[in-house]
Amino acid sequence: MKSTKYSAKVLEHFRNPRNVGTLKGDDVAIGRVGNPVCGDLMEMYVRIKDDVIKDIKFKTFGCGSAIATSSMITEMARGKTLDEAMEITRQDVADELQGLPPIKMHCSNLAADALHDAIKNWREGIKLEPVVDVPTKATCEVPEYKEIVGLDTFLNKGVYREFSDLEEFRDKRVLVVENGEPSIELAIQLTKVTGRVIFMTPLKMVLARPDLKTELKMSDVKVLLEAELVEVMGGETVEKVKVHDLNEDTEYELFVDAVLMP
Amino acid sequence: MVNTVYLDYQAAKPVDPEVFEEMTPYFSEKFANASSLHTDGDIATEALEASRKQVAEFIHAEDPNEIIFTSGATESNNLALIGYAMRNKKKGNHIIISEIEHISILNIAKYLEKNGFEVSRVPVDFYGRIRLDKLKERIREDTILISVQYASNEIGTIQPITEIGGIAREKGIVFHCDAVAAEDLVPIDVVRDKIDLLTLSSNDLYGPRGVGVLYIRTGVLLNPLLIGGGQERGLRSGTEDVAGIVGMAKAAEIAKSKMEEESARLSELRDYLIQEVLEKVQRSHLNGHPKMRLPSNAHFRFDYIEGESLLLSLKDEGVSIATGSACTSKTLEASHTLISIGLLHEEAHGSLVISLGRWTTKADIEKLIEVLPGIVERLRNMSPLAE
Repeated sequence: MKSTKYSAKVLEHFRNPRNVGTLKGDDVAIGRVGNPVCGDLMEMYVRIKDDVIKDIKFKTFGCGSAIATSSMITEMARGKTLDEAMEITRQDVADELQGLPPIKMHCSNLAADALHDAIKNWREGIKLEPVVDVPTKATCEVPEYKEIVGLDTFLNKGVYREFSDLEEFRDKRVLVVENGEPSIELAIQLTKVTGRVIFMTPLKMVLARPDLKTELKMSDVKVLLEAELVEVMGGETVEKVKVHDLNEDTEYELFVDAVLMP
Repeated sequence: MVNTVYLDYQAAKPVDPEVFEEMTPYFSEKFANASSLHTDGDIATEALEASRKQVAEFIHAEDPNEIIFTSGATESNNLALIGYAMRNKKKGNHIIISEIEHISILNIAKYLEKNGFEVSRVPVDFYGRIRLDKLKERIREDTILISVQYASNEIGTIQPITEIGGIAREKGIVFHCDAVAAEDLVPIDVVRDKIDLLTLSSNDLYGPRGVGVLYIRTGVLLNPLLIGGGQERGLRSGTEDVAGIVGMAKAAEIAKSKMEEESARLSELRDYLIQEVLEKVQRSHLNGHPKMRLPSNAHFRFDYIEGESLLLSLKDEGVSIATGSACTSKTLEASHTLISIGLLHEEAHGSLVISLGRWTTKADIEKLIEVLPGIVERLRNMSPLAE
């Protein structure tokens, strides 16, 4: 079966998703599941009164079934008590949509999980902030410093701590490792000589003065949050790095030509 | 192409009506087995050998006998890599490929690794061009084969094939090139490019599916994969599909005659498309090389959105395209090509492959440009990643 062989109802919900958006207020619980690295990120906003879901909205980054299942569950959950809503399973959502392709059952049917996460957070008094609207005062834990494999091996062979002339990075894929505002300024400057600059920080957000943050946002720098460098790899010079995704606690490889550690 | 704007020529091409016409007699009155010795058989043999000559001329091969007809590019790639490796393992057991080969080469390489060969993969730059310094770095005493595709079937980047051929020849290493993505629009010359083994596909020339070619330079020895009646100089047994082979040869002839004009026409359409998309869609990026790319290929990524959702939305608008999104593949992994050029997984998921072809018009491109910005905006409004 093709992964995109969807039922009429899935396609209908994909084309006309219900309840897209966010909710605000003290009576709103937020649930979040998935990870953009896997191609799915889902947020559920639930307004609760007297243990009943009064309103529900969602935001989703994902494929067709991710959007359709999010839309479907908002219709299923509205008006239900929290206990009833906790009973809704992935299978219920899939059934209500006249089925999902088998390969999609687990990868992009996260809507029930997102709803449950919201209710769980409500009950435990956990207040999530929307991904899009993280306040600047959020406390971000800085992970402990760990030794990065290969740093010494590739020092000045793709790993640089000092840079006099940015020209040597022309058209290179450059990874800038976060170290305060100068590192952000460096990343922005590098976009003048290359189209590929990745700025990596272990934090959940970029910490900088507002104007620099805006400048970074408007620039072509690709910001990589909640990521830390584990290993630098290559032959005679750097070819790729291993990255630890702190949110998912997984590791993946990223092809780069230079690693800058200001 | 039923009422759709078809922009997925890289996945499949229609058979040119002229090709179809040329093939027709070989299904009926000229049906005979090319191995038969009677007059009917002679007619089939003549058609087969004329086709071989045509394909040889298409790639500037010196001798038509260097052309072996197969069942398609996958078989040609298998015969080239496995056939050469098995025959020559006494010379060495090290093979080099690039990180962005077609999936058939990647999987054949894995198969060879399981069977005692060592495979090194050469990285590419941000534009998908193989890094020649890294290629040289990987060459060893026991390297027997280098395999690099002519151009990427995904991002359209054309490789510095002449340089790679030169490096391989100088070191006495056999060079295989999978030319499927490039063959219809880029003039291939196996002598100039110092190619020893070359894979071609019929369908990518607007010929029938189920036919392909492996060019084997005189003196390069391979083990056959299919054992039987000894057709195709013993390298590919099985009664020849004369109709299909005639079709492929005709397709090559047409491609050759149209190549210059068609490359120029498609390059113009492609550049127009790229310019419009980058201008009209905020936070959109071109993947692959801005200049050294197939005239038929445009490959974009759009921040904050996922490729399958794009594909479905374009499908609703009657536009057929492909995506590098994991959600459309059998494995749910992001495209290895996009990861190899240095993209993050989330960026690879938001990609769109547009491939133009012989029947693509300016109106098709206009249609895509008209609907795309709205679709991207709609999906971004839904995405928690967008601002």
